[in-house]
Formats: sequence, C-alpha cells, structure tokens
Amino acid sequence: MTGPARSRTRLKRWRKDYFGSPGAALMTLFSVAALGAILWFLIDWGLIRATFGTDGTQKTCAAAGGACWSVIAVRWRVILFGIYPFDEQWRAALACGVVALVILLSCIPRLWSFRRLALIWTLGTAVFYALMRGGVLGLVPVNEQQWGGLPLTLFVFVATGVIGMPLAIGLALLRRSDYPLIARVSGWIIDTIRSLPLLSILFTCAIVLPFMLPGFLIGEKLYRVVFGAALFFAAYQAEIIRGGFQGIPLGQEEAAKALGLSYWQRMGRIVLPQAFRLALPATINQFVIAFMETSLIVVVGFMELLAAGNTAFKTGDWKFAYAEVYVFIALIYFTFVFGLSRYGAYLEARMNAGHARD
Amino acid sequence: MDLTAPAIDIAGLDKFYGNFHALKGIDLRVAKGEKVVICGPSGSGKSTLIRCINQLEEHDGGAIRVFGTALDDSLASLDEIRREVGMVFQQFNLFPHMTVLENCTLAPMLVRKAARAEAEATAMRYLEKVRIPDQAQKYPGQLSGGQQQRVAIARALCMQPEILLFDEPTSALDPEMIAEVLDVMVTLAQEGMTMVCVTHEMGFARKVADRVIFMDKGEIVEEAAPEDFFTAPKSERTRLFLSQVLGH
Repeated sequence: MTGPARSRTRLKRWRKDYFGSPGAALMTLFSVAALGAILWFLIDWGLIRATFGTDGTQKTCAAAGGACWSVIAVRWRVILFGIYPFDEQWRAALACGVVALVILLSCIPRLWSFRRLALIWTLGTAVFYALMRGGVLGLVPVNEQQWGGLPLTLFVFVATGVIGMPLAIGLALLRRSDYPLIARVSGWIIDTIRSLPLLSILFTCAIVLPFMLPGFLIGEKLYRVVFGAALFFAAYQAEIIRGGFQGIPLGQEEAAKALGLSYWQRMGRIVLPQAFRLALPATINQFVIAFMETSLIVVVGFMELLAAGNTAFKTGDWKFAYAEVYVFIALIYFTFVFGLSRYGAYLEARMNAGHARD
Repeated sequence: MDLTAPAIDIAGLDKFYGNFHALKGIDLRVAKGEKVVICGPSGSGKSTLIRCINQLEEHDGGAIRVFGTALDDSLASLDEIRREVGMVFQQFNLFPHMTVLENCTLAPMLVRKAARAEAEATAMRYLEKVRIPDQAQKYPGQLSGGQQQRVAIARALCMQPEILLFDEPTSALDPEMIAEVLDVMVTLAQEGMTMVCVTHEMGFARKVADRVIFMDKGEIVEEAAPEDFFTAPKSERTRLFLSQVLGH
C-alpha cells in the first residue's frame, strides 16, 4: 500500500474510533480540550510566566504570575541533601551517583551472576557508606542522624531491597518446605508481619526495640528502621514469589530431581528463575511501593527527600513556594519509578522473547 | 555401584496413597541391557512403580536396589542412583527458560562437574543422535512436541546413565510425531541401553522388549516374552486389556 493510501485508511480508522457517533465525537472533543487546557496551564505556569534564576523573590514571582523556580535554585541543596553538613555535600552527591551506578550495572543482563552482582553491591555499598559516614581516608565523620534528602531515600530503598529480597526468598522457600511444621511457622511469620501497618513496624524498630534489646544489639536507629522496612518488604515479596512457585508445573522439579540436581541446584537453576519470571510484574510493583514508602521514615525522625523538601519552603522567604518544591520532588520520584517500570517492561519483553510458544 | 549386580532389583514393594494401596508387594528384576515394557490400564500403578526407582515417589515398604546400591534413607545412595538412572516424562518437562543446549549441559556440569566445553560436546553428540542438532540454540517453546521429547531423551542421555526410565513418552504427542520418538527409542534399545518403558505402544513392545509386564490394580498380573504375551496371554485380565489396546 502506498503512503497516502495508508494514511487515508488510518484517517478512516480514527474517524470510526473517535467520531463514530455523536456521543463519541463529543467525548473526544471534550477530552482533547481538557487535556489541552491542562497542558497549556502547565506550560504557561511552569515555563512561560515562570521565574528562573536565584534572584527571584515572592514579589517578582507574583508579578510574573508563573512558577517561582527560584526556590529550587536557592534551596536545592536542602531538598537534595537535608541537614547533611553543607561543606561535605559533594560526598552525598557522589554517594547518590554510586548508588545510581550500582543500580544501572545490576540492570545489565550480562552481569547477572551471583558472584558479579555480589561484588558490585558489596563494593557499591562500601563506597556509599565510606562517603556518607566518613571517618576514613580523611573524610570528616557524619553521623547517620545527619543524613538526609536523596541519598537517605536511596539508601533506605536499596537496603530494603538488598536485605528484603534474600529474606523474602528464604521465607518463600521455607513456606513450601516438605516439613509441615517449618512451612506453617514460615506462614505465620509472613502473615503476622503482613497484619501490621508499616508505620507501627517502623515505630517499634526505632523507639521500642532499644528498650527490649541488649545493648550490643541496638545499633544505630537508621539500621533498625531499615531492618523493619526490609522485614515488611520481605513478607509481601515472599507471597509474590510463592505465587510464582504455584505457576510452575510440578514436572519441572521432578525432571531436575531425576537428573540428580541437589535441592539448592533445583531451587537456584530451575524453580526460582521461573518463579521470578512469573512474578516479575508483581515484584516491580512491590519495588515501586517500597520506594514510595521510604517517605514514611520521616515519622521516626529522618529527613528523607520529601521531608527535606518540606523544610526547604518552611523558611520565611519561601513559604509561598510549596507547589514548586513538590513538583520538583515529584519529578525526582517520577524519574526513578518510571525508570523502574520501563525496566520491568523491558525485562518482561526480553524473557518472553525466548518463550514464544509456551 | 556394582555393574555385575542386577540393574534393578525390586522386592516386595509397597506404596500407599492414604488408604489406597497403589503397589501391592511388587517384585521385579531387570538385568543389565534388558528392555522391559510395562503396560496396564490407567491407575494400575505402572507409573508409580518406575517413579519409585528414582524416588520421585517414596515407597512405604519393600526394597529397591540399583546395581547393588540399596535405596535407603541416606541421601548419598539416592544421589548415586539418580546419577545412573535417567528418566523421560510424558510431558517432556524441559526447562523452558533454557535453550536446548543448556537443558542438555545443565546436569552434567552441575552434577558430574563436567567442564562446559566437554558438556557441550557431549550434548551435541546426543542431539545428533536424536537428530536435532540444528535446534540446539532454540528454546523448548519453539519446538514441536516430538522434537521436545527427543531433546528430553538427549538430556537424559547426557548424564550417561546406565538405565533409562520412560514414563509414557508418547502419550502426550500428536499421532504424526510418535514415530520419530519411537525410532530414537528403538535405536537406543538396539545399542544395549537398559530400558524400563511404561507405554501403550504395543508395536514398540513387540519390536524391542525382552519382557512385557502387565500390571493391574497395583499388582503384576502377567510377565512374559513379547511373543508369548501377545499371542498366548495367560490371564483373563491381560486378554481383556490386549483386546482393548489392539482391538482398533
């Protein structure tokens, strides 16, 4: 079919799909108008009439009538790094870069071997920790209580996943154990954690645990909170993995047994890879939720990204500019989560490519 | 492993599913190089019997020996026996997330600790034997049922087992694909592999079996050379079964 002919049939399709009846036509026109209005407002507010640069004030911004991006230009370091010492914030920025790099590296299928991933993550974590905490290589020590903003959010998210995922796999495997007692206990643990709100778990870890644990086990509050978040993540993820197990035909494990594979070989090579493939959409979803939930640690006194943003406009000069700050923070969250979802979609497509007909 | 002992020696095997007595004191001895075909109506316990040999089903009484190694409660004896006993399933059970070649090299590399190059060379040799070396890089989902079953046979052969168990290997295949799988099985039989096949392919039994065993209700009803089994069955139940299987 030639070019014009094809575009004519497409036009025909569109007319049928969107203007097939008076109602549909009305709906289409209304939707287009509404979308256009929203888009126009955003461009007008956010770009055309907006004030950029560090010298905007409430007065000049109000006169221009658009967004006052000056608040970001002036206060971005508070938003991104919270109360991390001003002169050391290059370390926090570098630490964010390290985390981003580690995440990007782990997304490359060629690096997917246990040894390589373990190496990347151990190294990445060590560098991140050295940069943030200091006390080595002549870096000024910075207490965990002073961590804030994006590096804190990333740290909590990554640590939740890194601790939570092995825990989840462990719980899920125990739950399908051949020994009824072990399976039942694992089920109880999962159900108990799932019956508790995340906030109460975070509170317990931050405030109640120190009274109950022996001194040497208490540790820094941040790590207790991360552990709580990881436990919560693990309970949900374990159920997601269990769902994956249920989609695998029984014959798969039998075939692996008949070939003489040991339990761990069967799990590592046959059962878990297939379970994760089946559970991928739900797993990505769980990671997105975990990323959003990092903002809850503000209630136990941590200034993560959202809380740092809140303080950025709480000073006298910028009280009016909360919308701009929230839009900025929303864009940061959006970048990470949208990237995560797209990556999930890529993985699914990649996995399905090999299984065209099963 | 004592290769001079009987390949399989089963004595007084009992298996229960709850109150259901699935295997009632089965005695069966298979010599090295022997081909035994087990047939019988569905629910007769024939699959359960061969699945006990590599302990996909745990038996509740009696003894199983494979080349003299007793299946006791120790994991070591189970590992040893599974290494020497390959199995081909009705549903193929290929690993869908691995290529054909990876399916064939996985166990030799993990269990036999073979080097990758060596395992791949062995795999290609057996894929040629089952006549699909050109599919090595494909995934199981891209193959036909007959091709998948031949890969499954190659995968079992790659462990270089002494015994192969076949659990209704052609029952899930479209009719036009049965022959290609049976051809491979006949070749294996002619090369002297010890085989225990649960199958309803009576033509195959006639052609290669040294012995045909008829099971019903968890018991061995009749056991004979194929010639006698098909022409002069002794038991009424065997005659009825044969008339149903061969009668069309």
